[in-house]
Amino acid sequence: MPTVSRKIERLINLTIALLATKRYLTKSEIFRTVEGYEGSAETKERMFERDKDDLRTLGIKIEVGSFDPLFADEAGYRIHSDAYQLNLGDISSTEVSLLSLAAQAWEGAALADVAQSAILKLNSIGIPADSFDLPAISPKLSNSSEELKIVTAAIAESDYLHFSYLSADLVVQPRTVIPFSLSTKSGFWYIGAVDQDVQEMRTFRVDRIHGKIEVKENKEAFELPVEQLKSVIENEAPEGYATIDIRKGKGHSLRLNAISVEDLGEWDQVKVPIFGLEALASQVLWHGDDAFVQAPEQLRGLIIHQLEMLVTTHG
Amino acid sequence: MVKNISAPLARTARLLDLVPFLNTHQGIALKDLAQQFDVSTAQMSSDLTTLWMCGLPGYTPLELMDLEFESGFVTIRNAPTLAKPRSISFDEGVALILGLDLLSSSISDDRQDLIASIDRLKAKLSEKIGLPISLKAQPKSSPAISSVISEALSKNIYLHIKYHALYRDEITTRTIQPIELVENQEDQYLRAFCFTAGAMRDFRVDRIIEAEKVIDRPETKNSSTNSAPIEFTISFKAPSRDVIERFGIDYANVAKSLQLTSYSQQWVERSVMASGGGVELTKPLNIRSELASKAQLILDRYKAL
Repeated sequence: MPTVSRKIERLINLTIALLATKRYLTKSEIFRTVEGYEGSAETKERMFERDKDDLRTLGIKIEVGSFDPLFADEAGYRIHSDAYQLNLGDISSTEVSLLSLAAQAWEGAALADVAQSAILKLNSIGIPADSFDLPAISPKLSNSSEELKIVTAAIAESDYLHFSYLSADLVVQPRTVIPFSLSTKSGFWYIGAVDQDVQEMRTFRVDRIHGKIEVKENKEAFELPVEQLKSVIENEAPEGYATIDIRKGKGHSLRLNAISVEDLGEWDQVKVPIFGLEALASQVLWHGDDAFVQAPEQLRGLIIHQLEMLVTTHG
Repeated sequence: MVKNISAPLARTARLLDLVPFLNTHQGIALKDLAQQFDVSTAQMSSDLTTLWMCGLPGYTPLELMDLEFESGFVTIRNAPTLAKPRSISFDEGVALILGLDLLSSSISDDRQDLIASIDRLKAKLSEKIGLPISLKAQPKSSPAISSVISEALSKNIYLHIKYHALYRDEITTRTIQPIELVENQEDQYLRAFCFTAGAMRDFRVDRIIEAEKVIDRPETKNSSTNSAPIEFTISFKAPSRDVIERFGIDYANVAKSLQLTSYSQQWVERSVMASGGGVELTKPLNIRSELASKAQLILDRYKAL
């Protein structure tokens, strides 16, 4: 379609003209010099407004200003090359390779196309990748739903997300949050967000969201609760420590968290931090007769209670 | 930002990105260029033709970009304004930072130089896209293979692995169902049912080269006596999110008594045990009674102390 091509040509010519200029270009200058602006004044005006919106949609920032500050005359436009161009400063071949590997981690996952476009840009810097010095690894991010795209867009705009979330006691509750982070751990995706009902930070596991995520535009400024964020990180201290006997060569997942190990012959005695009694009790029970809690009494009590229930239901 | 970009806009973006790419890949074959941008060669030819008409105001040959196709090879000259690649978008930045984070935790500790490079890149990118510094305090992802294994263990799913058999010095591909991680002296082993061998096998975790999840239940190639799946039935006593996630059950099915299958009796036993009073194993009866006596035995030990 020739008209479509003409529009594309015009958008590119406008980008080039606004990038090349040192001073602001007025609308009339643009209409006069940039190829493609034709028709009545009104038509040109409409074209230009749409073109500006289109370039902004592509992430190109157009500065608006007046080139003579003393006269509040016609507004001018330009694109600052620092904002337009990718500038990562000094960057080595190895670093380019690391970035390529980082993008490849998305292969087949939610942001694969975005990662691919980032790679094209990186490849255009003109620094060849040098993976010679890198270990032969290619970690992959676990495949995730398309929802991640909605979440990243909402983080960028500080928009509201509205969804149904499965709570620990198995109730599906509606939540409205402003997301600010996205992370992955052990194959699960987590959204860090400020829950609007309680105005506190919460973490949500993406696969525990039921149904669709709805986005609602947020027109107010959002400030990240940095102080809260700090205190949450500092409060990651355990509730206490448990002393557990573990059979030699067994109980690997418990040993992973151990802060000390004492050799008792056939058994080892390990000390592990407690992050939630219920979770630790369940983990100990998973290991059957290979793990045996010595302390604290509270954890022993919980496990004994669980075992009694197991015996009653299955006996 | 992920907006649904219209086709003409997507094409505009591609043309803008083509110029810097050509600038650093002078003389690239048209076919390769099309492949890099994931379009047909016909589309790429048409893109280049459009680009030919663009340049600085004036639009005389002096101001237009010079593109040259010579027997299927492309070069570009006189395009200084668009010579540098466009800056990274927010989405692209997020994708790269998360990818770098994963990479960082997959690199062994003796490569502190690379880990430092990754941290520098992450900081640069965060600054570029305006991500708050505090984001870096988010939990790091665990090494790729371990995370796949732990997910497989917790969700009772199958894996397709590439395994380096050291003593025979060959790499084999297998489909397995992970059952548990065991430690033997210095090393960590993954105990699993191997569908390729049709039997239980232990795999040294550091010799698993690749691991990916398999959705469908694999077929056992070799028949073996212990390869039949175990059918078991559970009902919920006090369902919690932990319990339904452990058995990989949909929230909507919680009220029902469910019949499930597993290749590992151990996995069934352990999962029921770990659920405490939350779940009742109703079938098979032999595992049920074994479970009861095991729980009684452990209970006796606790009470004896």
